[in-house]
Amino acid sequence: MISDKTFRIDGKKIPFQDGDTIMDAALRAGEYIPHLCHNPEFKPNGSCRVCVIETNGRHVSACNQPAIENMEVDNSSDAIMNLRRSLLQMLFVEGNHVCPACEKSGACQLQAVAYYTRMLSPHFTHFFPCRDVDATHPEIAIDFNRCILCKLCVRASRDVDKKNVFFISGRGINSRLVINSPSGKLGDSDVAVTDKAVAVCPVGAILPKHKGYEKPIGERMYDNKPISIVGDVAAKFSSKIYSKDVSTK
Amino acid sequence: MVFNQQRDLLDMVQNFSQFFCHESCGFCTPCRVGGTLMRNLVEKVAAGHATSYDLDEMKNIGLVMQNTAHCGLGATAANPVLNTLNKFPDIYTTRLAHTGYEPAFNLDASLEISRQITGRDDEGAHIRDE
Repeated sequence: MISDKTFRIDGKKIPFQDGDTIMDAALRAGEYIPHLCHNPEFKPNGSCRVCVIETNGRHVSACNQPAIENMEVDNSSDAIMNLRRSLLQMLFVEGNHVCPACEKSGACQLQAVAYYTRMLSPHFTHFFPCRDVDATHPEIAIDFNRCILCKLCVRASRDVDKKNVFFISGRGINSRLVINSPSGKLGDSDVAVTDKAVAVCPVGAILPKHKGYEKPIGERMYDNKPISIVGDVAAKFSSKIYSKDVSTK
Repeated sequence: MVFNQQRDLLDMVQNFSQFFCHESCGFCTPCRVGGTLMRNLVEKVAAGHATSYDLDEMKNIGLVMQNTAHCGLGATAANPVLNTLNKFPDIYTTRLAHTGYEPAFNLDASLEISRQITGRDDEGAHIRDE
């Protein structure tokens, strides 16, 4: 049961229950708040910061900020969108994201949110890190160049698959995704192509093999409609939350 | 903090930005990436390669870090840069290369690998400063 408590996002009334985060209530109401590391099936992480909103003069991440009755949330001002765009640009220059050469292009959440925030270029100086591609697994390839450290695979592997295949190692700008196997290679781990950890990757980092370009460019999930309508990359696997949007538009 | 007049404040800022870059846990985007971008820009200023555009960039990156970082470290990591840009702009502006655009890397030095591969070292294989 939805209680009769409400708060406002950009002036629009949003009902919520006790214990809801701003993101929980917004998703349920079909109000889009851009996000990358959040997936309603998992505990909020709050690391990408793309869901930054302003309320009561403070900037907070919507995915882990509890909703409070009558709060006013700014989710779409130029100032908020500028912050989000800068965060997206930071993620783009941190890794090696070459959209035209990526199998995930058109169905990538990083790319879709970048379009949503009207990002036109990576803007900042590229880091061009040297990262590996691990194709040792017969059914899954992982391209670390495209990892945005959202930890969704870490959480899915730990909480759903119960395999603990993925971890984040290192600190600061040297943080990186690592594989928990004797050789550190994916082929040596317990991961399977049917694992949740493979399905939740919002970018082109973890890709199932043998099905490249199954869907042609032009027919991919974000090719014709923005992410605010289509919803998350991983939403189709589970979430009822965006089904309203998808079916009505 | 108290410094005597012999202290090079940009040296202090460089030290701070390197410190916060090193101390960042890497959890959130603005501190992990923004902090590193900030350190690189401070070093660009210190090396005499920066332009006024870079100073604006530092202000913007600092603003993103202050407003979006997950914890207090990220939210305050840009303060040494932002405070000195505000109170002691001279330590930056006196070191600027010029007011136009300047790339983040040395054009001539980045041709070195190509020179080695081709065995060339003539004038045409160099980009000289004007």
